[in-house]
Amino acid sequence: MITLNRYPREIMLRDGARLTLRPMGREDADRLWEFFCRILPEDKMYFRVDVDRKEMVERWAEHLDYDSVLPILALEEDRVVGDATLHRNKTGWKQRVGTVRIQIAPDFRQRGLGMSMIREMRHLGEKAALHYLMAEAIEEQQPAIRAFEKMGFERVGVYRNFVNDQKGALHNLVVLLYHMAYSEEGMSF
Amino acid sequence: MYNVPAWLRYNFAMPLSRMTCPSCGADLVYDSHEAVKGPDGTAICPYRGRGNPELRAAHDLIYFGKWRKMDATTADIRRAYNQIGRHLKAIGRILETKDLPAAKRDLGKAVEAHHAGDPAGESPDALRFMDHALSYAHMAIDGLLHEEGLPPHDPMEFSKWYDAVEVPFKEEW
Repeated sequence: MITLNRYPREIMLRDGARLTLRPMGREDADRLWEFFCRILPEDKMYFRVDVDRKEMVERWAEHLDYDSVLPILALEEDRVVGDATLHRNKTGWKQRVGTVRIQIAPDFRQRGLGMSMIREMRHLGEKAALHYLMAEAIEEQQPAIRAFEKMGFERVGVYRNFVNDQKGALHNLVVLLYHMAYSEEGMSF
Repeated sequence: MYNVPAWLRYNFAMPLSRMTCPSCGADLVYDSHEAVKGPDGTAICPYRGRGNPELRAAHDLIYFGKWRKMDATTADIRRAYNQIGRHLKAIGRILETKDLPAAKRDLGKAVEAHHAGDPAGESPDALRFMDHALSYAHMAIDGLLHEEGLPPHDPMEFSKWYDAVEVPFKEEW
């Protein structure tokens, strides 16, 4: 279990904007729904689920299980401007692999929030004793791919014409891995 | 001499000024006309009041160092290698007391790259490994800053203090 006593945390972006990071709670369903409503249609096409349906967000908020999916929200005052989730398997062969998914509000892109959220996910992944973090992105999402690579994720594969957007068009899927191979004991400087 | 309008308050013949910050140790080269000055008229170190000023200053001294230039000598590269080693040790001393495994991992990668990049080994990849070491060191510093709620360190913000030519940098995500 990851201890969440580091939250809420204040962070400052490069342009001076101050945000709060904290885990999503049941009371955040409306805020998250409003956040998804502001995501551009061309970005929504790549979502795994149809977040245009409010009941999807409400159901998610009702059944929060941080040990399976830990959602960290970035808030500017009361408004959600970023959402990062760490997905884990409690058992089975992927229990040491965490999957990271990140969404940033259009007006908060190119301001360093995505990088901060990746940094936060890396910290949580380390605290959860995971061996790998995995991220997936459509090949067209180059800024996100570069941000993951800049934070130490390696591009390990591209699946050609592997996923379809919500209009049915096929896209290449890029898989990125962050390997947590060093042990704490071995880190003497 | 140039015929400079008086309102520019500028003398093109004026050399750049130098300063070593007594607080963070930053070794700076700057245009005295542009520096922010304190009540006593001396330039204020640009790292003052920022998180981890010593680490930022040490990083930038190496980042803007001569070893990366075309006319770098073997001595410049050797000096930079040693500077990187000291820089990594300084980061390690601070990280030792923190519960920041991801930043420690970045530092571990920096140390690994530093070992691989020893120019004494005459490896053709030495410069590349040194560059990697500095890059991972930067990530470790950014991890520290993130934990303090501060934005990442951007060396280009301090480029004019190192008489450096600007290089493109853009936060995309």
